Amino acid sequence: MNVMHPAAKMLVELSRSQDIEAGDGTTSVVVIAGSLLEAAEKLLARGIHPSAISDAFQIAANKSVEILTKMSRRIELNDRESLVQSASTSLNSKVVSQHSSQLAPLAVDAILKVTDPAKDDNVDLKDIKVICQLGGTVDDTELVDGLVFTQRPAGANPPRKVEKAKIGLIQFCISPPKTDMDHNVIVSDYAAMDRVLKEERAYILNIVKQIKKAGCNVLLIQKSILRDAVSDLALHFLDKIKVMVIKDVEREDIEFVSKTLNCRPIASLDHFTAENLASADLVEEVSTGGTNKVVKVTGIQNQGKTVTVLVQGSNKLVLAEAERSLHDALCVIRCLVRNRALIAGGGAPETEVSLRLAQYAQTLTGVDSYCLRAYADALEVIPLTLAENAGLNSIATVTELRNRHAQGEQTAGINVRKGAVTNILEEEVVQPLLVSTSAINLATETVRSILKIDDIVNTMQ
Amino acid sequence: MVSLNPVRILRNEAEEERAETARLSSFVGAIAVGDLVKSTLGPKGMDKILVAHGRSAGQVEITNDGATILKAIGVDNPAAKILVDMSRVQDDEVGDGTTSVTVLAAELLREAEKLIEQKIHPQIIIAGWRRATQIALASLEKASVDNSGDPEKFHEDLLNIARTTLSSKILSQNKEYFANLAVEAVVRLKGSGDLSAIQVIKKLGGCMEDSFLDDGFLLDKKPGLHQPKRIEKARILIANTPMDTDKIKVFGSRVRVDAVSKIAELELAEKEKMKDKVNKIVNHNINVFINRQLIYNYPEQLFADAGVMAIEHADFAGIERLALVTGGEIVSTFDHPEMVKLGHCDLVEEVMIGEDTLLRFGGVPLGEACTVVIRGATQQILDEAERSLHDALCVLAATVRETRTVYGGGCSEMLMANAINDEAARTPGKEAVAMEAFSRALRQLPTAIADNAGYDSAQLVSELRAAHSKGDHTTGLDMEQGVVGCMKDLGITESFVVKRQVLLSASEAAEMILRVDNIIKAAPRRRGPDNRPC
Repeated sequence: MNVMHPAAKMLVELSRSQDIEAGDGTTSVVVIAGSLLEAAEKLLARGIHPSAISDAFQIAANKSVEILTKMSRRIELNDRESLVQSASTSLNSKVVSQHSSQLAPLAVDAILKVTDPAKDDNVDLKDIKVICQLGGTVDDTELVDGLVFTQRPAGANPPRKVEKAKIGLIQFCISPPKTDMDHNVIVSDYAAMDRVLKEERAYILNIVKQIKKAGCNVLLIQKSILRDAVSDLALHFLDKIKVMVIKDVEREDIEFVSKTLNCRPIASLDHFTAENLASADLVEEVSTGGTNKVVKVTGIQNQGKTVTVLVQGSNKLVLAEAERSLHDALCVIRCLVRNRALIAGGGAPETEVSLRLAQYAQTLTGVDSYCLRAYADALEVIPLTLAENAGLNSIATVTELRNRHAQGEQTAGINVRKGAVTNILEEEVVQPLLVSTSAINLATETVRSILKIDDIVNTMQ
Repeated sequence: MVSLNPVRILRNEAEEERAETARLSSFVGAIAVGDLVKSTLGPKGMDKILVAHGRSAGQVEITNDGATILKAIGVDNPAAKILVDMSRVQDDEVGDGTTSVTVLAAELLREAEKLIEQKIHPQIIIAGWRRATQIALASLEKASVDNSGDPEKFHEDLLNIARTTLSSKILSQNKEYFANLAVEAVVRLKGSGDLSAIQVIKKLGGCMEDSFLDDGFLLDKKPGLHQPKRIEKARILIANTPMDTDKIKVFGSRVRVDAVSKIAELELAEKEKMKDKVNKIVNHNINVFINRQLIYNYPEQLFADAGVMAIEHADFAGIERLALVTGGEIVSTFDHPEMVKLGHCDLVEEVMIGEDTLLRFGGVPLGEACTVVIRGATQQILDEAERSLHDALCVLAATVRETRTVYGGGCSEMLMANAINDEAARTPGKEAVAMEAFSRALRQLPTAIADNAGYDSAQLVSELRAAHSKGDHTTGLDMEQGVVGCMKDLGITESFVVKRQVLLSASEAAEMILRVDNIIKAAPRRRGPDNRPC
């Protein structure tokens, strides 16, 4: 969105920051911030000084985090049930929600594969590669314990399937030699031209012979900007010795590929020896729904802690949305790895916090009490919006929710499927604690800095 | 026919203002600038959003710092330009007090305007002000406290000063935490005052309380592939050399051969050259190599073979700081290993902050070095947090050099104002009127602070004045409760250097503007629109 107003730009940044921190709840955080600003506006109209409001909001945020933490329940990473439940909750608000029964366990498995539950407390999402492929439906999405390449094998008639593969990852080019300076080859007669052709052939033949000597039968070639990675002559030779060639591997992907294959990228021909090759059980070109094919590498010896997810979709828009939703689900599980606590979803935490904050506000005096009450009221926007978007009568639903919480039912939430307020934990709608605490903290911080502004100056820079 | 046109001396399009008009235009400009930044003064001061319209159009910044605001707005009025310049100098010299100095200068000029209307000559006003400045300085020095002899009290002083400086900025929300952070960072400097050893890294995400002080040096880069990710007892070579190709840097140079085999040989020769270069580097007996430029695939692999961690694309500032911190030299050629000074550190390892991995150099010989990692919800908050922390660090570094402190919260201003008033009562002549005007201007600073907080400024300032006249020289304004209180008990302390610089700069600038009685604008030469800051 192209936003002009400076305060609105801050909210855009806020959402990005929540994405980095928790990965999910990016919409909730902006909604909460907006609601808090509205509350602050009313307080300002009553003549309360912005710094007083700001300080009170900080107290409110701290107390909210306390209340949320008390409501949460701890989980262990081997409790796969809970993990799948929270991934499903995150996917439920997206377009691909009907596939959540398939995507959620997929996300959980992916994360569990790349982390060591005993010692890790953070997950590098770069270890999970998400590859998008047009064709098929979202149901065909699968988790591949190995590598997937969307590039087809090069050459006129390449081998489609290689078992007991020895894979070489090369960073140099199999093509006529080219120096880094500009160069020209000057020929003065036909014999010289013939000689040039012969020498070129001999040069490439030499490289290919060495490849064969090392026993390599699958070649992954990095994309080169300086020259052709593989020339046609080279492809012809490689084809003859039955080597499957996959070219145009991006430079950024090389790190992931080498980590998965547990081999080093080979930068020059003299390093091309048998020890530097990786082994895999099977490298095969498979077709994925429709006419598209991908190359799958599975059964890799000593595979690094990485995993690939192949996402498919019937059109580009669905595909892109599926990828984003998967990313959100992965982030949700990552949050659980970082902070192993869950709370109920469905608007229950916000209502609980709102109620307890209002009670706490009555024990305070002065301006703080007023502002805290406003903060608590502002938080109710989340259950209100949930109910409204579900087509329920928002006021009736939220008041019943409040009533149930006041009677002690901490896990009462809005059940969108049934259209009523029920015990949300039975519905298995849960979310990580980190998403909610991060949303509240970040939203409060942004609102406080906006409150401190009293002038907009246009500058010349 | 006698021409009735006035005689024209200046070129067409040049303008001249004289006497009353000139003075009026300078006063108006300066007072406007003062009023602009007045609302950011004090612990209840507010911030401003700066929306850029020129080169970086659409970018938004939030700030409380007077110098930053003034640098960003473009002013045409010459008097205003002088004030902006003065604020910038205050920022460079001391770091804090940039808003106070602008407000004080603007108030002095406002008083001067009233005096001019009473037909008092500017030179008399200036003479009166000079005396007033001397008296104020003397009373400030008398009231200053020097705790450098007692390390515990001095540490307490530093904490108080840091807290006071941060109380008007965005970091005031976590004042205590950041004051401790800043004091720790400055104490590590052990009195050298060289702030370039403290590096500040901003990372989006988390909230401000997640910021921390790391006593190693952090570099925002990753090591190359398959290279050791963790090295102990590191010997570091810092270089600035191209490692992608060793081209002849003559434009348009070409090689002409007549056979492809020769090209193959050339290619091989280039590779050998790179290999030689890497060997020469490795011969320095190092295990970490840091290059400012790119390191391409082949040399990267050679380094990995040799077990050397190679880091590419470090930026200039990072390289220079790294050289300073590890004690190494930046080299460009590798022929003489004996003459090169290597950097050292105990441990180099990868750490993860937010979503990014950084390299941490721990146990560096320059024990003063440290890194502050700032986290925040949005980019604007991060930038403002960095500026505020920088201000606090500057003030603390200045205090470490010049250890005297005075009390803040309007206490010193009222002290100086009362001293000047006493002396003025004893002085015959019109200079006394000027001195009283000076003291009125000084009293405007606590008035602005009280106004920004929304309290009854007239009531509070009169109470403050009465308290000081009775001899109670530690009374100031307590903005939490909205009453006058003892600054010593509340711990609202400021550095003596800051207050002195504010006083001297403001009075000098005001004097200079007052002496002007003629403004000549030169005719502009033909050029495009001017978008530079003033």
